[in-house]
Parts: sequence; structure tokens; C-alpha cells
Amino acid sequence: MILNVDQKRMLEGELGEPAQVAMEMLDSLGTIFGAERLIPVKSAHCAGLSLKSHGEAGMLWAEEMADKGGRVVIPTTMNVVGVDRSRDLGLPEGWSVNQLRIEKAYERMGCIGTSSCVPYYFGFLPHFGESVAWAESSAVVFLNSVIGARDNREGGPSAWASGITGYTPEYGLHLDENRKGSMIFRLDTKLSGIADYGALGNYVGKKVATEIPVFENLGNPTIEELVAFSAALASAGGVAMFHAVGITPEAPDIKTATGGKACEVFPVGKAEIEQGYTNLTSSEEDKIDYVAIGCPHCSLNQIEEITRLLQGRKVAENVKLWVHTNIPIKRLASEFGYLQVIENAGGVLTQDICTILGCPEALGVSRLATNSPKMAFYAPGSNGMTVRYGSTEDCIEAAVSGRWR
Amino acid sequence: MKRFQARCISKGHGTGVALVCGSPIGFNFGVDVQTGAITEHKHELEGISFKGRVLVFPHGKGSTGGSYVIYQTARIGTAPVAIINRASEAIIACGAIMGGIPAVDLPEGDAYDQIRTGDLVEVDADNGIVRILERK
Repeated sequence: MILNVDQKRMLEGELGEPAQVAMEMLDSLGTIFGAERLIPVKSAHCAGLSLKSHGEAGMLWAEEMADKGGRVVIPTTMNVVGVDRSRDLGLPEGWSVNQLRIEKAYERMGCIGTSSCVPYYFGFLPHFGESVAWAESSAVVFLNSVIGARDNREGGPSAWASGITGYTPEYGLHLDENRKGSMIFRLDTKLSGIADYGALGNYVGKKVATEIPVFENLGNPTIEELVAFSAALASAGGVAMFHAVGITPEAPDIKTATGGKACEVFPVGKAEIEQGYTNLTSSEEDKIDYVAIGCPHCSLNQIEEITRLLQGRKVAENVKLWVHTNIPIKRLASEFGYLQVIENAGGVLTQDICTILGCPEALGVSRLATNSPKMAFYAPGSNGMTVRYGSTEDCIEAAVSGRWR
Repeated sequence: MKRFQARCISKGHGTGVALVCGSPIGFNFGVDVQTGAITEHKHELEGISFKGRVLVFPHGKGSTGGSYVIYQTARIGTAPVAIINRASEAIIACGAIMGGIPAVDLPEGDAYDQIRTGDLVEVDADNGIVRILERK
């Protein structure tokens, strides 16, 4: 890569050790991915901040970078962490202490402690064509596809490096020619609700791995359905971008979405959606002890829906109901009385955390019901849980009865 | 002595006995940082430690948490003395840089295939040079 004067100075250590480490990472990644130069980015989003990802070593590294004066130069938001800073959820103390040390280190470096996977819901909103360096695989897909911003599948350290330097290597999805679809999926069935979109995303994600799928007849999805869809594609495959003809901004028609090249067309119907549901289900019993909703974090609409389903009902005694969101949405939920409905019913509205990056299993739960295609995919491995996957309605029913359907 | 051109992935200089592996290594949930041994079930290097060795493997795999695990081995003192990949990816690159472990990839021609476990190998990552100093 050809570096400019500022970038060379950083690489030589003239702006301190953290900037040097960051620039070495970006220089190396640029070499690996064949970038000719670095480009400026307007924002970054650091993921991998859970203690499960960083470990004690990562915690010590982050503290060392903060101690040595590491400071971000562009707005850099923080992804989900493992501790809800507003309350004690009963998680092990060793876990909580070390998790908070990681967060403090990143905040000392100037990162914004919003601790959520959906910063675009609350004002951190790149625009069409803007290059950014966001990690968090669901956000990568959402930004590239639904907004038409430009973002590679950043890892934890590389997004941090972009925050510290303000640059990312110009490769992958920052380039026009890499943003074209290569496989067409034509729906012949209607989808309704997050779980349906998640099932489709899981089915297609597994099939395409790292290609860019193009969808026809995706219907009229809500923003929440598009977010769940993005998360499903990103987790089941290595998808970083999709096109949906007539819906996403770089896909007014098939020809534009594919760049005019011939692509195989895969019909997708009820059978494929069913397959997605099957893939995401790993429990053979009806008993449920943990219902978790909000992966990615719930919007205010989703929380309002949950309160309608819970109105006048109580969560069963042997069930924990956790609804995950972030600080701003939780504050609004409290303003409008939604938080009170959830908590009066016996549920919990969390901020900052989620299931797969937290450790709710430490509280003794293992039989999960969820509407999240990403949580359903990871929970067996990350939390040792069995999973029932279905609609929001089915999940709330399970919370109230302690049984799946 | 054989000498090959390589690409610098993480700078530095390291010499040691090669430990060659035919399959990718996933550091996240796949390594015991206290001993430097691979713990992934059924991996060809399962139970074998890379501490102080020139670790030769095609590329990394798994989640980005692996970068922090590589860093951990450098901090504890169980890291490889150098890394040679056929083609590096981001996890290994970031982890090696964080840990100050010299790393190179894409040795020219069939160079990668010529290194064997037991060879004494020198990795000069700064200049992109790999030397086999002694054959086993």
C-alpha cells in the first residue's frame, strides 16, 4: 500500500505506540487484502468487547493501549458487552469485574459507551455511499444492504485500529466492483414477522457463504424484519451484503444488482423457510426455562409489541424472560410505560448486554425460546443451551406457560 | 541453506525449530495459553505446544477473539517465536502484531511446502526473508 505522510508518521511511532500498533494492523490487512491505499472513514464501531471474546488477555491489552494514550479520532461506538450497567442481574462477580474493566479501557480511549449492536437506531447513521469501519456482523450487512453505506466485515482489533487512526484499507466492499450480487433467490411465498425473515436469512446464509445474494419478491419488510434478516445472513454464512430488488438502494432492478452478469436463480418457498426453522431449532422437549428476545437489540416498536402480548399476564415462575435493548430505547420504554408492563409481568428489560455475549447460563437456565435467528444459531455453542425458534407471539406464550406451543 | 522471499505480516525477527501443520489453526477456544498447546479436538497438532517454535500453518480460522488469544501467549511467554502462513488472514495478522510476534506469508513458489518439522528456520519479517538454516 502507498501511505501518505500522516500514515507514515503513525507507522513510525511519532504519534505514540497505540497509533503505531493500529497503523501496523491496517498496513498488514491492506497487504493481505490487496488494497492500494488507505481511505478515511467517518465512524467506527468496535465489537468483540465481551469478556467471552477478549478474555483476560484482551482486557490487559486494552488497558495497556489506554494507559499509553490511545485515543480514537473519529466517533467510535461500542458493541454489546457482558454486563448491564444499570443493575445487578446476578451474574458471577469475577465475570462482571473483568467485563467492566474492558469497557472502562475502551471508554478511556474515547469510545462511546452505548454498548449496542444497533447504533443506527439511535443517531449513528452512515449515509448512502459513505465508507465506515464497523464490526458487528449484523450491522455490517444492514449498513451495506439497507443503507448502501460501505463497510467490510471488520474484526474487533481492525475496527479499533480504524477508530484510532481514522482510516481503513480500500478493499472489498469499499469498491464498486465488489458490491454486485452473484446468486438470485426468488421468493414465491409471503413472509410475516421476524422469525420468518430470520429463517429465510439462515437458509440462504448457509447456501451462499460469502457471496452476495439478490432477493426478488422479498415483500414489504419492516425495518425490524430487515435487521433480523441481516443478522441471520451474517451468522449463518459469512454474508456482508445482500440486495433486495425494489427495496435496497443499490437494487432498483436485477440488472443493476448483479451488474448485468448471468446468475443462477434459486426459487425459495415454504419448504426452504421450514428448513430455516428446523436449522435453528435444537430442542426436542417442550419445557422452556429462558425466553430471550432482542438479538439484535429491540427497537421501541418491538418492545411495544411485547407489552401488548404480555398485558395482564405473568411470566411463569420457573421461566426467565429477558428482553434486550440499549440505553436510549430503554429510557423511551420507561417514558411510555412499556418497561413497567414487562417488569410487572415478571420480565426484565436489559441494556448493554445480550444472551450470546453475556452469561445468562450462569443463572442456571438452558432451555431457550427465541425469535432471533442469530441467538438461535449461536446459543448452543456460546451458552450451552437448547433452542426453540419461533415468532414473538410463540415466545411470549412460552414465557407465560413454561412450555413451547 | 535455503532462502525464500515472503511478505511481512507482523515485523520482527525469530529463529527456531519449525513445527509444520497442514491444517488451519483456530486460536479462539482452540489453544491452551498456559502451555501453548493446541486443544482443538482431533486437530493434527492436538496436545502439541508451539511455544518457542517457528509455527508453520496455512492460515487462521474461527472468530476474531483469536487475536486476543495469540496476544495472551505472547504476554505469558508461550507464543511461537515466529509464524509462517501460506496466506495470512486478519485474525493471525492482528494477533501477531498485538503480540509482537514476527509473521510472514506467501513464501515464493513452493517454498511453503519445503519447510519440514524439525528444520532450523530463521524468519526475518522486517525484510520478508525466510531461511532454512539446517535440515533436520
